[in-house]
Amino acid sequence: MKRALSGFNRSLTGFAAAAVAVLLLALSGAAFGHSPLELLTILVNGSVGSRFALEGTLLKSVPLLLTGLSVAIAFRAGVWNIGGEGQFIVGALAALLASRWGVAASLLAAMLAGAAWASIAAAMRLLRNAPEVLTTILLNFIAIHLLGWCVNGPLRERAGQYPQSDAAAAALPLFGSVHAGVFLAVAASVAAWWLLYRTAEGLRLRATGFNPSAAKWAGINVKGQLARAMAISGAAAGLAGGIELLGVTHRLFERFAAGYGYSGIAVALLAQLHPLATIVSALFFGALVTGAGELQRTANISAAVAIFGQAVVILVLIGFERARSRP
Amino acid sequence: MLDLVLDAIPLAIVASVPLLLAVQGELVVQRGGIINLGIEGTMLVAAMTAVLAAQATDSVLLGFAGGIAGALLVALLFGTFVILLRTDQIVTGTAINLLALGLTSFIYRELQQDGVFVDSIPRIEHDVVVPLAWIGIPIVLAILLWNTTFGLRLRACGENPDAVAASIRSHRALALGIEALLAGLAGAYLSLGLSSGFAENMTSGRGFIALSIVIFGRWKVKGALLGTAVFGLAAALQYAMQAASSGIPFHLLLALPYVVTLAILCGVAGRVRAPEALGKN
Amino acid sequence: MLQLSHVTKSFGATRAVDDVSLEIASGGIVALVGENGAGKTTLMRIAAGELAAESGSVTRTGGIGFVHQHFQLVGELTIAENLALASSTRFRFATARTLEREAETTIAATGIAMTNVSRRVADLSVGEKSKLELIKAIAKKPATLILDEPTSVLTPYEAEELFRVMRRLAAAGTAVVFISHKLPEVLAVADRVVVMRGGKIVAETRASDSTAEDLARAMVPLVSRSGSYDDKQNPEGLPREGEIAAIVGVAGNGQTELAARLRDRFPDAAHIPEDRTRDGLVAEMTIAENLALRSSRSWNPREAARHAEEMIALYSVRASGPYQRAGDLSGGNQQKVILARELSHLSHRSHSSHESHHLIVAAEPTRGLDIEATRFVHDQLRAAADSGAAILLITSDLDEAFALADTIQVIYRGTLSERMTPDIASGKVANLMAGIA
Repeated sequence: MKRALSGFNRSLTGFAAAAVAVLLLALSGAAFGHSPLELLTILVNGSVGSRFALEGTLLKSVPLLLTGLSVAIAFRAGVWNIGGEGQFIVGALAALLASRWGVAASLLAAMLAGAAWASIAAAMRLLRNAPEVLTTILLNFIAIHLLGWCVNGPLRERAGQYPQSDAAAAALPLFGSVHAGVFLAVAASVAAWWLLYRTAEGLRLRATGFNPSAAKWAGINVKGQLARAMAISGAAAGLAGGIELLGVTHRLFERFAAGYGYSGIAVALLAQLHPLATIVSALFFGALVTGAGELQRTANISAAVAIFGQAVVILVLIGFERARSRP
Repeated sequence: MLDLVLDAIPLAIVASVPLLLAVQGELVVQRGGIINLGIEGTMLVAAMTAVLAAQATDSVLLGFAGGIAGALLVALLFGTFVILLRTDQIVTGTAINLLALGLTSFIYRELQQDGVFVDSIPRIEHDVVVPLAWIGIPIVLAILLWNTTFGLRLRACGENPDAVAASIRSHRALALGIEALLAGLAGAYLSLGLSSGFAENMTSGRGFIALSIVIFGRWKVKGALLGTAVFGLAAALQYAMQAASSGIPFHLLLALPYVVTLAILCGVAGRVRAPEALGKN
Repeated sequence: MLQLSHVTKSFGATRAVDDVSLEIASGGIVALVGENGAGKTTLMRIAAGELAAESGSVTRTGGIGFVHQHFQLVGELTIAENLALASSTRFRFATARTLEREAETTIAATGIAMTNVSRRVADLSVGEKSKLELIKAIAKKPATLILDEPTSVLTPYEAEELFRVMRRLAAAGTAVVFISHKLPEVLAVADRVVVMRGGKIVAETRASDSTAEDLARAMVPLVSRSGSYDDKQNPEGLPREGEIAAIVGVAGNGQTELAARLRDRFPDAAHIPEDRTRDGLVAEMTIAENLALRSSRSWNPREAARHAEEMIALYSVRASGPYQRAGDLSGGNQQKVILARELSHLSHRSHSSHESHHLIVAAEPTRGLDIEATRFVHDQLRAAADSGAAILLITSDLDEAFALADTIQVIYRGTLSERMTPDIASGKVANLMAGIA
């Protein structure tokens, strides 16, 4: 018998998974002769130990939060959107093109582009029965090459020196060194929570994700629900790309996406697919990424340990989930 | 244009060996009903362990053995989650990729300080891997999958596990083992054969491309060879065009095979059917 | 060959097999007949060792071949490959040609006609697939062969061929068990007939001493009354307002498809699905959420909880409150929640004149429920009809149909009989359900 965990137990599981990840990180460091204590100190100080570190953590958390929301909404509805990376890229591309009309238009374009890109996969699933797991991954590659073409071709900077675009014509307003995207991301997760738990649309979306067959019998248009969930999910990832462009990089270049789309899966799973918990989860991973950057600078330990941490969190969570639900 | 293509062929044949091996490995597991997204990470780990083993033993052969051993370890982890715990294959595969990327980058930087990875590695003298990948292994796989009782049962595992009297788990585990063997070979060839050492994220998406080619080739060995040839040629042409600065937008050319794969998935070029039980636990 | 003594097996609260003893000797054909849910398949799966009995013992001599009602074939593989799949699990090399030759030998040994073994199973007709299942079972030379409803998908000619094979196997010493509810063919092919009802054996006779009517009566205990057909009504039409129309039949005769078709055609009507756990409720969501799924109003958790509390009281659902997970409720209480959702959905629209806004389609609404919950469901359906709903009751429980319905139709192999009044139906239903009439 599968039983739902209480909210408390769920957060406990999440904290346990995060703790295991940090612990394994320290142990791996120890295996190569670093002092685990020193490593943890750098990790903590580098992510939350100073105003500068905190700002870094906040900035890194923004795209993670939005791609995490993207995954959470899709998985809640039972669609496997693995295409966050591609939606992130087309979102940023659209934002760049629309930036001459201001920040608002630019971000709107990012969301629409992300939604449209994701909807290609939804349409293929609903009309041609092509599994979205595969089509979203393929669309990621198409987006990556599209970006490559753009920054080497039509969108290449006028100076022509590097394969990158000119700076966007608009930028998010700054508060200190933190851009306004932080507030947008938090607003987006509140909106996602409101959508999922305070609207009839969200109720139907969750019902479809849990049990599409029962949803159909309850009179829900399951196909329409999947299509909308995919579009909303894509819009969140697209917005992430737009904010990253207008707030952080200002330019597009080939490796712009930097894996945020895939990291969203870890963020969403750690948050147990809950939009508000996603804020905490994104902050944790944002801190991990920022702290890992500090590790690389001061202790010459690869910043990629943050990715390692994401993997451990996912594996601990899904392993635990399955082990618990087995009869 | 034609001579550009002709010039690219020899390069394509050699450079797409890791891809081809990965495609064939993924073909085997997908025929058994498992979709292993983690093949990217498996190859990456293999590329690293191959270099470590080659440097430690000063032997190319043992280097390849080390690559295969690394791939087997990753497959063991993936198999434990997917076959034993029955976790979701997509999420597990994604986690495996992140794990491999994080771990190899971390170890790479650690060992670089000790001079490992900097020292030269032994070179391949007789490249048997190329004919093996393009001729030997496809023949063996075609026989294994379509001319043995094991292959018959494995394909049934991928279609309708209820109809298989034998253990589905052991068949799928064996298929994963075969994939690890091939992915290990692929990773090792990448770091020992195509480059002279390990580099961070050196597989750069080959595992995902392999996944696409398996679909492109409609889960058949012949299709795998053809698909790899198309993708490999497109990649080689990109280099040629870059060098010749021909003005053709080669990035769009690179995206083309994916567009074609999408079209195939949508049944544009006739019926395409994934193994019925693919991805289901 | 096969000896079962005092075998008992329950699924949840229902006792599928209740203290059954049965001996099946070699060299004869035993027919196991009964309504759906009578326990035939469960009993035979216990006999074959596929299910464990709670109590009692099973003695088997020699191997058992079991041809299931649902095919266990791989559509993408050829006939030859499917046969090879069923044989040994040893590793060996085998080309398609080798497998085909072996398959031809295997098929020849069974004496069943099946040509061109390189065909894909997905391209075969249902009859051929069923033949292939039979070949798979016989190829292992079992001492006992169990066939579960083998003729349900066969043409008369194919069925005749199957009977010839059965008789030949029996003559050669195999014990053949034949599960069916088609009485004429049972009488034609079996030596002995065992009738099950409610998990027990209720009759056992030699086929030559029995008639189809006797067996039908033993399967479905109803008093026969006389009368004539009421032809005036259109059997395809929906029930009138205030009327309960029952469609009865042995499960698997197209009821599931009919209910799904009605769901798609009348999305606004109230639907009580047959498969409660899969289609009725979202187990992971709360009672309040499940109740709100059909509501067209905007979702407000507090209001939904208040509505759920009302419904819990009104339908006397035994639950800890509106926030209890629906999956944790007992079957009867789940059904009450479904009723509450569907009936209140309907009452919201009862002012509309559109016909589907008064329609309730209830499929097997009391399957697996205890007496109290069953009575509750029946009372609710009656009350709904009294207040003007048109109810289509699809059920395999005849007592339920006769207790509730104003008119009765029988569904057999996807076709509906004429609509009858209960008086007339009582004399005809058993035969119509068994496909005699």
